[in-house]
Amino acid sequence: MDPIVYVSLGAALAAGLAGAASAFGVGVAGAAAAGVVAEDEKNFKNALILEGLPMTQSIYGLITLFLILMVSGILGGGFKFTANTPDNIVKSAILLGAGLTVGLTGLSAIPQGVIASAGIGAVAKNPKTFTQGIIFAAMAETMAIFGLVGALIMIVTGVGF
Amino acid sequence: MSGILDTTLALVFTWVGYKTSMIIYKYTPYSYPNARIKAMEAKLLIEQRFNELAESRTLQNFVVSLEDTPYRDYLADLQSYDVESIERALEKALAGTYELMAKILPKRVNPFFRLLLEEWDVRNITSVVKAKLADEPAMDYVVEIGPMLQKVKAMAEAKSMEEILVILEGTPYEEPYQKLLLGEIDVRAFETELYKMHYGKLLDYALSKKDEERTILEEFVRLRIDKLNILTALRGKAARLSAEEIRPMLIPGGSVKLDPLLHVEDLSMALAELDSTKYGPVIRDVREEVEKDLGVLERVLEEHIIERMNELNRFYPLSVATPLGYVLQKEREVRKLRAIAKLISDGLPPERIKELAGDVA
Repeated sequence: MDPIVYVSLGAALAAGLAGAASAFGVGVAGAAAAGVVAEDEKNFKNALILEGLPMTQSIYGLITLFLILMVSGILGGGFKFTANTPDNIVKSAILLGAGLTVGLTGLSAIPQGVIASAGIGAVAKNPKTFTQGIIFAAMAETMAIFGLVGALIMIVTGVGF
Repeated sequence: MSGILDTTLALVFTWVGYKTSMIIYKYTPYSYPNARIKAMEAKLLIEQRFNELAESRTLQNFVVSLEDTPYRDYLADLQSYDVESIERALEKALAGTYELMAKILPKRVNPFFRLLLEEWDVRNITSVVKAKLADEPAMDYVVEIGPMLQKVKAMAEAKSMEEILVILEGTPYEEPYQKLLLGEIDVRAFETELYKMHYGKLLDYALSKKDEERTILEEFVRLRIDKLNILTALRGKAARLSAEEIRPMLIPGGSVKLDPLLHVEDLSMALAELDSTKYGPVIRDVREEVEKDLGVLERVLEEHIIERMNELNRFYPLSVATPLGYVLQKEREVRKLRAIAKLISDGLPPERIKELAGDVA
């Protein structure tokens, strides 16, 4: 494959996978939010906060997309790895790896949505569990953060600005 | 290098895709209903509310006290504040709960709740038949729930036992009723036959499911069968019936073997036998009370089922355990409210009402 394919795939997978996962996560939590609000409108605020948690993975995906596009020169200049040399292939493969790392760890948005959904139900039953619900859902976020940090290291050390 | 990369990517994506789709398939359909049910659980009446209701003194006050609860809509249509109308409104509220469950739950489990509603048909049909045989007004025994409610009402108004057969034509209850009419079975065997059919259907449905849905539904049905069988066996023992007389009344499909219990001489020994089963810890603390009143056993077994469903609910928060636990709690709530309404209409003092309502299973 040409370097441009690796780079484009890396950027697309980072934003695409994480974005799709966030959509599913928010969807699952959103359905739960609608359920508790249907019973009592007072649940809206708590449900909204928990529902929003799985959205962050899509932000990490977007950040990675911009970084990949910037370091490869697609954004703000000419593409740096046009020539099909081993060095360019390695660098573009690293960018694909970075994108894939963020994309795959971004899938944590789906289980996070499931946790948030259960949390929304728990908070509707007992509002005192709101903080705990946030903490439980935020645990799934850790994987996405690890992925983002890993991708940043790969981009900075493997390719550089 | 490209080959290795492509293969790795294909494997990773296939595995991730499979796992992701499994999560979405398993949990997404329960997201909305379970969250809504949790919010509904928050509205279940607590002990303090029951005590306040017990102090209502009049049925009008009792109805007014329920205005800020989900029963408001059902009580709004009351023509008069008599106990029968209130009971009917509460029964309709319970029927509404079942209907809501069947409506909001995923298609792969909602038929189970329709099947659960059929238990009310079984109860109504046996009550009507017993009332007719005893020459009592059958309509008084009809509970306003069940998919066959209209037919049940028609049965209650039937002028003869043969007319009931015509009403039951085409239903699964026709055959056992025919046997009853022909004298091949007595009313007790007729009732058992109907319950066997009903629980057979529930168990078949539970066993047709997979994974945790099967685990939860199967346990729920087996617990209910156990409860009925234990009560039947112990009532039989209290009435000094032999094992041969009790055995045909038991429903197949329970999780405990009750045979040793049937061969003992009296209730006390039967309870000792029950102690060695998984229900031992459930009855141990109330054994003395149970020996005096089997209603206590009914209450603790019902509480045990609710507690078990709550445990499963904690383990599987996005599963069918949540609605099952809720329906059981709602049934208990309605039973308590009906009892309080009845006791108020009987003119009992609030302290006595609180005491008696607390004993309701």
